Amino acid sequence: MKTKILIFLFFAVATSLFATNEAFAQGQNDPWTPQQLLAPADLAKVLNNPKSPQPIIYSIGMQAIIKGSIDIGPVMVPDNLNTLKQKLGKLAKNAQIVVYCGCCPFSRCPNVRPAMKLLKEMQFTNYKLLNLPQNVKVDWIDKGYPMAE
Amino acid sequence: MRTLIFSVALLLFGSTISTLSAQSTGLEPGNKSPEIKLPTLKGDTVALSSLKGKLVLIDFWGTWCAPCVEEQSELAKLYGKYKQSAFTNGKGFEIYGVSLDAKKSNWENFITTNKINWIQVSDLKFWRSPVARTYNIQGLPFNVLIDSNGIILAKNLHGIDLDKRIAMFLRK
Repeated sequence: MKTKILIFLFFAVATSLFATNEAFAQGQNDPWTPQQLLAPADLAKVLNNPKSPQPIIYSIGMQAIIKGSIDIGPVMVPDNLNTLKQKLGKLAKNAQIVVYCGCCPFSRCPNVRPAMKLLKEMQFTNYKLLNLPQNVKVDWIDKGYPMAE
Repeated sequence: MRTLIFSVALLLFGSTISTLSAQSTGLEPGNKSPEIKLPTLKGDTVALSSLKGKLVLIDFWGTWCAPCVEEQSELAKLYGKYKQSAFTNGKGFEIYGVSLDAKKSNWENFITTNKINWIQVSDLKFWRSPVARTYNIQGLPFNVLIDSNGIILAKNLHGIDLDKRIAMFLRK
């Protein structure tokens, strides 16, 4: 009986780990650290409090959905990446910056990596990637967080 | 001890099922599919309900979604294979493609380049599209197979599974 329980427990843990990995798959070589992931709830809190210092938010995906975000367009397109580079070039290195795409899970998103790599190369010190592990609908819109007009 | 082990295992299974079913929550087979009325590339509106009488695959996709783009060639094969078929629950097969693109140029270029010849509609609102909410779409690609009366037969089937399910309804 004890063996059966242990086998059951083993499969439960293994299946759970598999599912978690599928949902939040991130490569080991991604150009961001876990500390650079910003929780949507935290950004929403900041946006809902006008007295709080507001970050500069860049939409580096298909459409600016989040309130106050600047629409760069998908930075997988070199012209858009260049636009982002030009805009970043005008900012102080310690500017508070947030980037997001939200088309799909990070594992499939073609935009988050070029943007985060650029920020790193330009030696910014205070930038975050909005943690939208599934997409901007599930992780932002459906939660009722502030939207662009 | 045994109770504790079972509790942990049940908790883990619960969270697993919750994670894996994120893609399958929402409308269930047997329910009536909600109406969709969106514009085509030319600007005229095509209602999902106008396809009454046919077996219909509602394909939610976007040119920015790599797996969706890959799937379009498979859908072309299915469309060619079943378009004129008679089914037990519909006469003819149609695909109602709903794009969650944001830019018309991307959508139009893809359709033209790939010669997609089934119905394509979009409000070009990306994830803000009201249909994404109505159909409780959690991620792309996502599709719904409906019968001649708009009743949902299956959700999110792809590849051979989708082909087999459509074939199941062929009139012998």
